[in-house]
Amino acid sequence: MSDATKGPVQLAARNLTRHFSVRTPGRLLNARRVVRAVDDVSLDLVAGEVVAVVGESGSGKSVLARMLARIVTPTSGDLVLQGTPIAIKSKRTLAYASQVQLVLQDPFASMNPVHRMSHNLLRPLRIHGASKADAPALAEAALRRVSLEPPSRFLESYPHELSGGQLQRVSIARALCIEPKVLLADEPISMLDVSVRLGVLNLLRGLCDDDRLAILYITHDIASARYIADSIIVMYAGQIVEQSRGTSLVDEPKHPYTQLLVASVPDPSDPTRDVPPTGEHAQIAVAEKGCRFNPRCPHVMDRCREEEPPAFVVGENHTSKCWLYADHEAAVEVALSTRRREGETATT
Amino acid sequence: MTTDSMGVDDVVATEVPPGALPTTTYGPIVATTHGDAAMGERILDVRNFSVDYGWGENAVRAVDDVDVHLDRSTVLGIAGESGSGKSTLVYAITRLLRAPGVIRGGEARFNLGTDDEGEHIIDLVNASERELRGVRWSSISIVLQSALSALNPVVRVGSQFEQVLKSHRKDMSKDQRRSRAAALLAMVGLDEDRLDRYPHELSGGQRQRIMIALALTLDPQLVIMDEPTTALDVVTQREIIGELFELRAQLGFAMIFITHDLSLLTELADEIVVMYAGALVERASARELYEAPRHPYSLGLLNSFPPMHGERTELTGIPGSPPDLAHLPTGCSFHPRCPYAMARCTNETPPLVEIKGSDRSVACWLHVGDAGVAVPVELSRVATGTKKFDPATEVAR
Repeated sequence: MSDATKGPVQLAARNLTRHFSVRTPGRLLNARRVVRAVDDVSLDLVAGEVVAVVGESGSGKSVLARMLARIVTPTSGDLVLQGTPIAIKSKRTLAYASQVQLVLQDPFASMNPVHRMSHNLLRPLRIHGASKADAPALAEAALRRVSLEPPSRFLESYPHELSGGQLQRVSIARALCIEPKVLLADEPISMLDVSVRLGVLNLLRGLCDDDRLAILYITHDIASARYIADSIIVMYAGQIVEQSRGTSLVDEPKHPYTQLLVASVPDPSDPTRDVPPTGEHAQIAVAEKGCRFNPRCPHVMDRCREEEPPAFVVGENHTSKCWLYADHEAAVEVALSTRRREGETATT
Repeated sequence: MTTDSMGVDDVVATEVPPGALPTTTYGPIVATTHGDAAMGERILDVRNFSVDYGWGENAVRAVDDVDVHLDRSTVLGIAGESGSGKSTLVYAITRLLRAPGVIRGGEARFNLGTDDEGEHIIDLVNASERELRGVRWSSISIVLQSALSALNPVVRVGSQFEQVLKSHRKDMSKDQRRSRAAALLAMVGLDEDRLDRYPHELSGGQRQRIMIALALTLDPQLVIMDEPTTALDVVTQREIIGELFELRAQLGFAMIFITHDLSLLTELADEIVVMYAGALVERASARELYEAPRHPYSLGLLNSFPPMHGERTELTGIPGSPPDLAHLPTGCSFHPRCPYAMARCTNETPPLVEIKGSDRSVACWLHVGDAGVAVPVELSRVATGTKKFDPATEVAR
C-alpha cells in the first residue's frame, strides 16, 4: 500500500495474535481448546487516514482494538509506535497512552455517572501532566473541537443530563484532550440514535482531515465504513480476509464472505439483488483447518479444507485471502503493472 | 441496540417469558361488537391512541393521538428512534404496558375472525384480563429485541415450548407437544436437539429464531416484532428476515415490524408509519416513503444511512438530537431540527392529514394547501414504483 501523499505511520501492528484458552463444555474436566480471537493481523495507522475494520460479532475486531490500546496483551506480534518498537509483554506506559487513545461503544457506560463532565475530562488531563491552571482551558478546547458549545455548560453537566450523541462526543473529547496521535474508535456509533450517527462520523472524518489524527474505526456496519474510511479491512474469525484502499472492497467484493456481507446490508435502492446463501446453519462456522470460512463458503473447493490461503492481490491495493484468486493473481499483477507503466508514460 | 429511555423493554421482557404464563385455561372470548364494527380484512384498528408515563403534572406523553391499522397478512412497519414511542405504542395496544405507563385514551380493535355468528371483534383497551389471556399468544404474539432476556435462562428451550402448549392446548399429549416443538424449530431451521439446550448455550441468531418459533407456536394471526434483529449482525439478520417471510407466506400471519432501520423496513414492509416524539409524522406505502418522502424527518432519516453505491458525498443527517418528551418543543416537535421550519411551525402543531389524491398522510405544514409556500423539490418527488423486494423468494440456503 504505497501512496506518495501518505502521512507518517503513527502506529503499526505486525502479525498481532491473541489466543484464548477456554474450557470445552461437556468434555473432560481438563479439556481445553484454543480460541484464535485474532490471528496474524498486520495494519498501519497513518496520520490523516481512517482505517475501518469491519466484521461480525466474534470476528476479533474489538480484541484487536484492545491490543492496539495495550489493554489486552498479545500472544505474539509486534507494535511499532512512531517508529519505536514497543515491548508488548510489558505494562502499558503513560507515554503510550498519551499517544494512543480508545473510544468505546457505550457512551453511557464509559462515563462515571456520579461525576460531572469536568471531572471526566480534567482527570485524564491532570494524569497526563497538565497543570491545574491549564487543565480547564484544555478541556474547553477539546469540547469545542467536538462541537459542544458552549463548553462551560457541558463541563457542568452529569452524564444522565446529556443525550447519547452528546455523551459520545464528550468521550471523543476526553480521548482528544491529551492530544494523542492515534484514535481507536470501537463501534462509536452503534449505540447512538440513527439521526445523530452521521454527525459523529463526520466529526471523526474532520478530526482526521484537519488534525491529521490516525483513526481506526471498528464497526459491523459496512456502509458507514465505506462512507468514512480511506481503507477498509474485513475480518472473519480473527483473520483479515480482505482489504482494500478506497471503496473497491465494497464496490467489487472479492472474498465470498465480503460478498455475503455486502449483499446482506439492507439496500432499498437495489431490491432485486442476489444474496448468496449465508451458510449460517453450518455446524461448524469456523474451520480448524484450511480456510476458516470454508464450512459456510458457497465456492468451497478441496484445497480450501486443507490449506489456509494467503492474501492474493485481486486489484490495485486490494487483497483477498481466498484460493479462488490463486491463479488470478498473476493476471491481475500483469494488468496492474501495465496500467502503472501506462500511467507513467502518460505523466512523462 | 437501542436503549429505551423509559425502560419499557426491560419491564416487559420480564413479564413475557413462557414460565410466567398462568397454567389455567380460559373459556371462549366474549367478543365485543361495536355498532359500526364491520372490519372485514382489517385485523387491527387503532384510533386516537394516547399513552402517558406517570400521572398528573408529571405525566409525560409518550404516544400522542396515534391512528394505525393493518389488514390480514400484511406487514406494517413502525420506524422511529429510541424515545419516539414505537415500542410503547405496541406494548400499550397489547396491554403489556406496566405502570407508570397508562393508556390515556383511544381504542384498539382486534378482529379475531368471522364465523356463523358474524365477526368477532375485541376491544383490547377495555378487555378484561381473562379476555386478554385468550387473545395473547394464540391470536397476537410478540418477539422482543433481546432474546437472552426474554427466554427463561434456567429452563431448557424444550420446556419453554412445553409450557406454552400445556397452558393453551390442554388436549395435547406430551409426545404431541414435543413433536410440535420440534416442528416449530424445523420451521426456523434449527435441529430438534436444540430443545434440550439452555438459552445461554445458543448463539444470538439461534435464540432469536427460538423466539420467533415460540411466537408462532399457537398460529397467531398477528405477530409483533420489536427490533427482532437489531442485536444481530447483518448476515444473520438477512437470513432470519428471509425465513420470517417464508413462514409468513406459508402461515399468512400479519406483522407489525418495529425498527429504527428505515432501509430494512423499506425492503420488507407493505406500509410504513414514521414516529417522532410520540406522534405519527408520516404514513405511506414502503416504496413511496423510500422514493418520495413527504415529511422532512422521513427525508432526514433516509439520508442518515450512508449508501452502498455511487460517489462518496458528505451527508448531513439531521442536526440536533431527539427531543426530551418531558419538554417537547411548541408547535411541531420537529421544528428545532427542521431545515424547512416556518414561523407557523413554532406555535401550531400540524395534524396528520391525507395528501389529496393519494392514500398517504403526512403531518407537516409544508403540505397543507394554504401554506402559501412552495414544497421543496426533495419533498415532492413522485415514486416510480419499482418492483418490491420479496425476501421469501430471495433467500436460498
